[in-house]
Order: sequence, then structure tokens, then C-alpha cells
Amino acid sequence: MSRTLVPWRRYLLVRRTAVAVTAVALVLSTTAGCGSLQSSATEVGGERMTDDRPVRDGGTLTVALNADPDKLDPSLAQTLVGRTVFAGMCEKLYDVDGAGKVVPQLATALPKTSPDGRTVTFSVRKGLKFSDGTALDAAAVVTSLLRHRDLPGSARATELAPLKAAEATGAYTVKLTLKQAYVPLTAVLADRSGMVMSPAALKKYGKNFTNHPSCVGPFKFVERVGGDRIVLAKDPNYYDARDVHLDKVIYKPIPDGSVRLANLRSGDIQVGDQMAPVDVKSALTEPKLQLFNSPSLGYQGIGLNVGNVKGLGEKPGKLDTPLARDVRVREAFELSIDRDLINKVVFQGMYEPACGPVSPESAIAPGVAASACPKRDVAKAKRLLKAAGVKTPLKIELKTSTTPENSRLGQVVQAMAKEAGFAVSLRPTEYATMLEETDSGHYDAFTSGWSGRLDPDGNIASFLQTKGAMNAYGFSDDETDALIERGRTEADPAERAKIYGELTRRANDAHALVYLYRQKNYVVAGKDVAGIRVYGDGLVRVKDAGYTK
Amino acid sequence: MTTSDIALPKARAGLFAGHPMAAYVLTRVRQSVITLFLVSIVVFAGIRALPGDPALALAGEERSPAALAAIRAEYGLDDNIVIQYGRFIGHALTGDLGTSSRTGLPVSDAIGQALPVTLELAALSLLLAVVLGIGAGIVAAVRRGRPAEWIANGLALLGLSVPTFWLGMVLVLAFAIAVPVFAASGYVPFGTDPLDNLRRMVLPAIVLGSGLAAVVMRQTRAAMLDSLSADYVRTARAKGLTRREVIGGHALRNSLVTVVTVLGLQLGHLISGAVVTEQIFVLPGFGKLTIDAVFTRDYATLQGVVLCTSAAYILINLLVDVAYSVIDPRIRLGGAK
Repeated sequence: MSRTLVPWRRYLLVRRTAVAVTAVALVLSTTAGCGSLQSSATEVGGERMTDDRPVRDGGTLTVALNADPDKLDPSLAQTLVGRTVFAGMCEKLYDVDGAGKVVPQLATALPKTSPDGRTVTFSVRKGLKFSDGTALDAAAVVTSLLRHRDLPGSARATELAPLKAAEATGAYTVKLTLKQAYVPLTAVLADRSGMVMSPAALKKYGKNFTNHPSCVGPFKFVERVGGDRIVLAKDPNYYDARDVHLDKVIYKPIPDGSVRLANLRSGDIQVGDQMAPVDVKSALTEPKLQLFNSPSLGYQGIGLNVGNVKGLGEKPGKLDTPLARDVRVREAFELSIDRDLINKVVFQGMYEPACGPVSPESAIAPGVAASACPKRDVAKAKRLLKAAGVKTPLKIELKTSTTPENSRLGQVVQAMAKEAGFAVSLRPTEYATMLEETDSGHYDAFTSGWSGRLDPDGNIASFLQTKGAMNAYGFSDDETDALIERGRTEADPAERAKIYGELTRRANDAHALVYLYRQKNYVVAGKDVAGIRVYGDGLVRVKDAGYTK
Repeated sequence: MTTSDIALPKARAGLFAGHPMAAYVLTRVRQSVITLFLVSIVVFAGIRALPGDPALALAGEERSPAALAAIRAEYGLDDNIVIQYGRFIGHALTGDLGTSSRTGLPVSDAIGQALPVTLELAALSLLLAVVLGIGAGIVAAVRRGRPAEWIANGLALLGLSVPTFWLGMVLVLAFAIAVPVFAASGYVPFGTDPLDNLRRMVLPAIVLGSGLAAVVMRQTRAAMLDSLSADYVRTARAKGLTRREVIGGHALRNSLVTVVTVLGLQLGHLISGAVVTEQIFVLPGFGKLTIDAVFTRDYATLQGVVLCTSAAYILINLLVDVAYSVIDPRIRLGGAK
């Protein structure tokens, strides 16, 4: 596209932008009031992941989550809020630090991998005890890893599928044999697959382990009242118990952001997790509250049905819709959208525009920076639609989740896409129905997001591989599949970064998933709380937390 | 409901000879059991008619056909619906309502924890509604056409028209943040700490009870106006009874039949309508349990909650019918003759 515009074209461009902004403003003013439009600039400052002021011993910290966690069993757990609770009571073989790098936690050092990549060995720390008082050793690690892989319904089965065998080669050394080289394994072991459960508790409770979880962690499970609270207490068996300051941590699900904020203001809770931009704005005016924020490893966007004919798990086929038939139509749709404007009017300018599956903050293979995202180009979008020979306005049904933010996102996209020749109808759909309809291929477009994983493979493979467990788009590309496999087996970091760069380019060229923005992890806490850590994985770590002296 | 609906049956010979009230209650209990059984079928089938596959909702990121099959097998979702119902009702009769597919907690435990919260909230809201609603209704009827009636009517209109969520947030801002007299959220059992319990329950009770108080006020006012213009009240006045005796002993007592009917109907709504209030004040009651279960297609929890709510409705209706005969002796005598 030419960078130089003649005056009348510039006038048209400005006019079009003005029309789009006006349309968006009208849409928002009828649905959400005018407040959101008046605060487009962010005032949250730079990243703030920790607060290292000294803290005193004792006290109870109440952390409000935006949903009730699912099962407290590392093999079965699915939710981000569940991971936050685990961060308090179930340490992992590896963890992530503030820079997004994998560091040892229960293991003594990063694993050693054989030249062919098929044998991985590591040692675990000596003298560790589970919350039930039994000792952690290599055998316990093997028991947990095999359970994660083999338990029916395990949510860890796919990420541990390359694990062929696990054995304890000594009291504290573990050898893993893989079916093929699998570089993302270390990052996988820095999540729930790396959590080690007490074999005694597993034997005693079996599948009911979820109600009696026992791991190694700064806090141990005390009780759970469904929908109300999960209570953890300081674990005297923890190897670093002297540096744990709080007596108790209580996790309370409070789904509504404004209610979470009201409770922070009243002091009934001390930490509010996953705060929405509009609530963060309000929190910033409160002298008794402080804000933590870190970049997210995930992404949010719009998934398009390009070949999901028979449903998820079946071979993608040819779908007879303009969006699926012609990549130019999908490109036109993407070009009709202004990512910056979405960020400003829907998210108060407090998220980051995104145009790729991997976060630019990824320590392993940084993705496309927000500044490099393609700009909105309505003229080109119209030309593409004309070249594709589709009749405009082209009708598209966009399924959105039922959250207010997602509804507003849908309305903004609707207003923008209209200018390019798309007639987007919105269909708010609740979570379970959305899953069924998108997995079965009964959709044109839907709002699609992912909380993100440390290794870029976790943000790409399940979604863009032909047989991907979450490839609801029906996307299938042999070269992409081959690159994904190469990314998993390539040990050289520089080479891996190139592979994921190429994968991002191919994903963007296919326009099956239009990446729009990356959330930030906003956590609001009382000013008298210090020591919590909010890293890129979005978890609230409370091991070092306490009340200021 | 009219009085003819609840006419007492003739006492049968035998166990309940000479005890028409007991025979009536027994008949109603029998009817209630049949109703509950039919409700269980409707609930079971209705939940399964919802769009959205519970196995998908559970599987999350692990949605391979093998993973879905494992989940369906574990929760018996691949069985015929009749077999599923038979298993559900068989276990329910032994008090086992199953296990939550989302949290892994026993449903009966979850209900046991949530029920006292919602019942306390409903009871406090009812108390508030009765005290304020009947009091304001009497004042509005007795002081008809005067400022007291206008104020009572205005407050009733406010109670009916103010959205629950808004009122809740305003009360939290005013009485939990600006002047921290009450807590913004949470629940502490009354037995553990009565004062803290009330500190947390007063605001939710006001929010939930305000609408009902307005309804009760309007019903009381209308019924009292009818009663005050009736012949028996004129007769009572002519007999020289005091104003308090006329209003309290005659007019109000006769008006209460209507008010109790409304309260009975509204109490059911209080239990199911507590959803929003429980969300605002983060109370772990039935509302929260239901919402979470619906969105995650947690069939076992949803079935348990809806069944218990239905049982509560049926029980409340039974109690209301019995209350009629206590309040109005004409009803008690009507069917027994």
C-alpha cells in the first residue's frame, strides 16, 4: 500500500475513520454508557509484578478469584483460577520466574537431555515432605507423572503423550524416556504436569484426592466449601516454612468485577485477581489499594470456521461458505478491524493489540510486537471482497461469550466490519453451548481466547495442527503441521525462534484465527499487603506474602 | 387459591377418626410426594434438553474423542436417559444426590452447606417484609388520604422499582465502605458468631426483602380497606370495641388470609430470587450453586438443587394451606361438618 495519500484520499480515510469511531461510540453509548469512551489512556504505569516490602508473620489473606475453581486434582484440573490455588499448595518440578524463564522448584536443576532428545533426567530435592507428612522422592515423582498421563479423563494426557516411560533411577533421580524428542517438556513440567502428589494420599483417596489434595507447598489444604471458599493453612512440613509469613490463605470466588472491587474497598478481601480494566480504573482512585500487572502469555481473537465440517477430532473438509472458500474474504474481515481502537474503546487502552499466537514477552521465542500489527485498511478490504466476487453485505454470525466485555467487543467489530461490507450479526452464547456449537462446526465466527503457556508450542499446536485438540476452526496445512513437529524436536533456541516466527506468519496468512489483543494480568491488593507475585502466567503467588510491618 | 380448594376432607374411620386436620395433612403429603416424583422427571429431562455437552464443558482443553468418551463413561452420560434417571432416583431415595462433576464434592454436602444460607436469607427477608409491609399497609389503610399513606405508597413503589443489583451496590458503598457498619460480603454461620452473622446478613436481607415488603404492603392495604368497610367491622365499632381491637382483632385478622397467600407464593420466589442477592453479597447459597451448575452443565448439582427447591415450594404451599385454617376458623370448620 502506498504510504503517500493524495489530499482527497486522505480526506476519505479520515472521514471513514471518523464514521467508524462515531459508530462505535454510538453502539457503546447505547449499551454501556459513555464512561468507557472518556478514558482511553492508560494510567496504570509499567509492569509491576512484585512488592518486596518487609512483612510480619501471621494473618489471613483472602484472595478473590473471578470463578470457582474446578477439581483440586492436578491431573484433572482445567481452570486458571485452579492454578492460582495450586500455586499456594502444590509446587512443581519447575516454575517460571518474573522474566518468564523456567527455573527449578522441586527439582534441583534444569533437566539433562540426551543428544537424541529421547532421554531426560533430573534430580529432586532431598528432605521434602508432603503436607501429609510423607516424604517426596523419585518414586513419588514417577507415580504422579504416570497418573497425569494415564488417569482416564486426565487433562494432562496430551501434553504428556510423548512420555513413553518414567522410572526412579535412584532415591532422588528420575529418568524419563520419550517416544520422540520433546523440547516443550520442561515448560510442561513447570505447570500442573510437574505437580507431585503424595502417593499415600493418592492410595488412600483415589479419585477423591480432589477433596483431600496433598502436595509439597507453603500452605496445605484445610477445607473447601463449594462456591464459597477454599481454605489453606501454613504447612509446617514445608521445606521453606520459616519464610512463609501468613497463617492462612482463603480463596473466594467472586465472579462480578464490581463486587470484587467493592469488597477490596471494604477490606473484606485483600487481593482481587483478574480485574477488568474498568475496575482497575476505579481501583486506581483508591488510596488504600495498589495495582500489580504483568503481561499475559495468552491471546484473544476471533476464530473463523475454515473447514470444521464434521466436528472437532474429525478430518477438516471443504466448507461452502465465502469465509471458508476464499482466504481473501478472511483477510478482508481482518483488515476491517482496528486493533488499537478496540483496545481503546473496549478495554480502556489497558490491554495490548496482538497479531500472533505467541506473546512478544515470551522468553523462549518472542512473538510479533504490538507495534508491528497490520493497520486497518477498509479500502483494501473492499478491494479484496470485490476480487473474491462475494455479494456484499456479506452476512456473518459472530458468537460472543456473555461477558459485558465480549459483548462490547462484538459490537465494535460489527460496526467496523460493516464499513468494509460485512453484515455481522452477534449471538451471545454461554460457555457450554459455545463449546458444543464451535466444536461441532456450527458457526461462522466466534470469540476465541487462550490463557497462554510458557512454551510457544502450547499456544499453537492444539489450535493450528490438523489433529489439534482445540482446532475448532478446521484449519489444516501440511507445512504448519510439519513446522509444529519441528518446533517440538528442535533443541537450538535460535532455530526454534525462527520456526515459531514462520508458524506465526503462516497462521496470519491463513486468517483462520484473527488475533486481536492480549490481556494483561491485573491484580489489585490492599496497600498493607506485600510479597505477592504476579508473573506472566497470570497466577497470584502467595508464598512470600504477608501484611507490612 | 380459594377456600373451596382447601376444604378439609371428612375424617375417615380408623387412625384419623375425629382428626380431620391430620387426615387433611396426610392427603396433602401424599399429593406432595406424587408431585415431587413428577417434578423429578421434568427436572431430569429438562436439564438434559439444555444445549451444551457436559462432557465438553468438563474436558476443557483435552477434548479428544477418547477423553470425551472417558468422561461420559465416568459420569454415566453415555447410558440411556431412562437408565440415568433410574440411577439418579435410586440414589436420591437413599440420600445420595451424586457428585459434582466440576468440583468433585458430594452434591448433598454442597446442598447441606448452601441450604442454611439461603433459608436464613429468605427468613430474614420475610421477617423484614412482614414487619415493614404489614405495618406500612395498616398505616396506609387506616390513614387513607393522609401524608402517611402517600409516604407508604411512595416507599412501596420504590421497593418495587429499584433494581436489586443497584440497591445492593449502593447499600454496600454506604454501609460497608463509607460507614462500615456491615460487611460487604461473606457468610458466617449464626451458631459460630451470631453478631458477625447478622453483620453480614442484614444488607442482603434488606435487598431481597424490599421488593416483597412493597408487595405485602400493597396487599395488606387493599385487604384492610376492604375489611374496614365491611359490616362486621361496623358492628364491632357499634359494640363499642376500641380502635385497636377493631383493627387488630377483626380487620387485620381477616385481611391476613390474603397476605399469607401472597407470602406463601413469594417465599418460593425468595428462595429462587436470591440468585442476584447472593451474587452481590457473595453468599454461598442456592443461587450461586445453581448458577455455577448451569454454566458448567453440572447435571448432578443442578438436579439436586432444583429438586430441593421444588420440595421447598411444595412444603411451603402445604404450610400455607395449613396456616389458612389456623387463621380463619371458618375454613377449619367448613370441611369438617
